[in-house]
Amino acid sequence: MATFELYRRSTIGMCLTETLDDMVQNGTLSPELAFQVLVQFDKSMTEALETKVKSKVTIKGHLHTYRFCDNVWTFILQDAMFKNEDAQETVGRVKIVACDSKLLTQ
Amino acid sequence: MAEQGGVEGSQPVDLSKHPSGIIPTLQNIVSTVNLDCKLELKQIALQARNAEYNPKRFAAVIMRIREPKTTALIFASGKMVCTGAKSEQQSKLAARKYARIIQKLGFAAKFKDFKIQNIVGSCDVKFPIRLEGLAYSHGAFSSYEPELFPGLIYRMKQPKIVLLIFVSGKIVITGAKVRDETYTAFENIYPVLTEFRKVQQWYASQSLCPALYPTFNSYHA
Repeated sequence: MATFELYRRSTIGMCLTETLDDMVQNGTLSPELAFQVLVQFDKSMTEALETKVKSKVTIKGHLHTYRFCDNVWTFILQDAMFKNEDAQETVGRVKIVACDSKLLTQ
Repeated sequence: MAEQGGVEGSQPVDLSKHPSGIIPTLQNIVSTVNLDCKLELKQIALQARNAEYNPKRFAAVIMRIREPKTTALIFASGKMVCTGAKSEQQSKLAARKYARIIQKLGFAAKFKDFKIQNIVGSCDVKFPIRLEGLAYSHGAFSSYEPELFPGLIYRMKQPKIVLLIFVSGKIVITGAKVRDETYTAFENIYPVLTEFRKVQQWYASQSLCPALYPTFNSYHA
């Protein structure tokens, strides 16, 4: 199954990449294996978000910029309010990158 | 309504030009221009803000600006359509802004053959209209099929303009290349509309009123 690499830029993805880099540097891991781990991470993130995450968040703000190219939506919101069941927070500026997961199964 | 005519209240309507006393409000202007250079649409979509490009769906970049609030369709041939402006000047200004954006992305965009292609106006005569009667007596110009569309479609021959006439008295005027055609078309149709004004059965509605709006009456008693 094809996967998106966009979760590699999340905090958990960055940490994993950093750790793998260190391990490759000091020879505890081969670069090939490190790459395999990253690919597995992509798969696991996609699967986990699909099956394990039940909570919903709504985001509402002023649309500053949008773009749709290569089936990727990019939004820059100003004064965006993030809300879920028990918390809410306003962020001055946020960038949303969204891919269509349906494209992976085609 | 406040927006009608734009000048109502602030300055008197020029009755020599608008004998009806109503000036249709321009709602949408569509213009085209040739930027006269081949464009790389994907590059534009990636670099410009507020752009959409989905070549599977539509072979143009759709771009929007906020001032004047408009949308442009930009084709690889260098031809561009600008929609949504409320006046001819605004449409031209918007088209120039889009051309400037394309230039800034490194294309040698020119500004050739700018042309207003369509003007849409609307207004409210503020009385109801008997569409069936109008359709019957102006059969050659009218198409009224309430099962398909609630308005009467009136294809005027001189000027060659299409009017959508609704029971409510709201009118949409489309097909003009210059705004005077919009105004002339409305002044032509206005006497016809007054002729087919629906007479309100006001005594009947008055007797119904208390029954229909008991709360309204009790509030205002």
